[in-house]
Amino acid sequence: MIKCENIDKFFGDLQVLNNITFEIKPSEVVCVIGPSGSGKSTLLRSLNHLERITKGKIYIDGELVDYRENDKDLMKIESQKVTELCSELGMVFQRFNLFPHKTALGNVTMSPMLVRGTPKEEAEKNGLEMLESVGLLDKAYEYPSRLSGGQQQRVAIARALAMEPKIMLFDEPTSALDPELVGEVLEVMKALALSGMTMMVVTHEMNFAKEVADRVIFMDEGIIVEEGTPKQIFDKPKKERTKAFLARI
Amino acid sequence: MNINFNQVLLFAKGALTTIELTLISMIIGTFLGLIIALGRISKRKIIDKVTWVYVWIFRGTPLLLQIMIVYLAIPLLTKEIFGSAIIMSRFTSACIALVLNTAAYLAEIFRAGILSIDKGQFEASKALGMTSRQTMIHVIIPQTYRRVLPPYANEFIMILKDTSLVSSIGLAELYRASEKLSSSTGKWEYLFIAAGIYLLLTSVATRIFSKLEKRYSVYI
Repeated sequence: MIKCENIDKFFGDLQVLNNITFEIKPSEVVCVIGPSGSGKSTLLRSLNHLERITKGKIYIDGELVDYRENDKDLMKIESQKVTELCSELGMVFQRFNLFPHKTALGNVTMSPMLVRGTPKEEAEKNGLEMLESVGLLDKAYEYPSRLSGGQQQRVAIARALAMEPKIMLFDEPTSALDPELVGEVLEVMKALALSGMTMMVVTHEMNFAKEVADRVIFMDEGIIVEEGTPKQIFDKPKKERTKAFLARI
Repeated sequence: MNINFNQVLLFAKGALTTIELTLISMIIGTFLGLIIALGRISKRKIIDKVTWVYVWIFRGTPLLLQIMIVYLAIPLLTKEIFGSAIIMSRFTSACIALVLNTAAYLAEIFRAGILSIDKGQFEASKALGMTSRQTMIHVIIPQTYRRVLPPYANEFIMILKDTSLVSSIGLAELYRASEKLSSSTGKWEYLFIAAGIYLLLTSVATRIFSKLEKRYSVYI
């Protein structure tokens, strides 16, 4: 479903991703863990072009969506292709990024109506179903400022799901939440995983990774140090860096 | 001091012209200003440069001079270039100069508003598959209203008073009415009456913008 080959990313002189190659299969849930600055978020954001890789190839669902070298495109990428790509990759941000001037339902229906041309009644019907699936049907007509962090993030998940993406990308979805609110968001993500969604989750929630992930990737300083099943990574880490990181958690 | 009906009429007509000029320049200036603001943020260098030059010229020269140039120089210029002069009425010339000037200031106000919106809003919109245009129209610009209202109100009030400059090309507005009356009668009271009317107009404007600000602060 996702295939990355030899990804390099530089911010100026600073190398943030170093020869990253990995794959995610359909319906797989992969958690990416690692210290701050390891490049996990940058890798995630490169998939939907929020960041542009300096070098490498990215395949989404078998299709080559990015092919670059020396920070230049080696294939023609039309902006329409990018918007299509984005609508197939749902993204949930650390800071939610809900639209404050729209209600929860408004947030969820905006993109289907604008991007897919879905008529309002249909979009609202689906939107309410989405909100119900994250447990927020009763908050459909509230503005984000009236919702708690956990509720906002769940609306954000519903908003991403409303576009019926093939893959869901989570960029530290619970890092900005109060501890009591983390659970409700992880529950929604767990249910989503069980329903068969392909997910790539950058997270610090190790328990979630242990419980839900099919595979865990450990990154540090721009490289994939180790990857494997949660059992392999958490119980029997092979590399010293992995052990050192897990010891600090 | 006695004020007869003719004088009241003179002030009323002047005030009406002042209001007309203000509304025309603000309304058209808003549309033009928004276009220029979007040009200033554009990734296409040529659009960015052209709009930068526009703002540079119309913010960098006095409004009084711009009014003069539009009224006096344009007929002469068009005569030289095209052979026949384009002659515009005082009112039209004044409107053109005011619109061009206002648009430059408003462009910077709108640009500041747009740039102040959190980057995450752009990212979320992109991640949901929206085009840049859709993002601007449905996500970004609606969020700028609240931020843009105070400087926008400022500009409105400034233009309302700056309309007095069109008296320089002989257009009869509020200031000219008072100036004519006071210089022909030697009475200073007329100037104070004009000041009072300006104050009334600006106060009404301030009040309206206050109400608008309250309206837009409901949820953000």
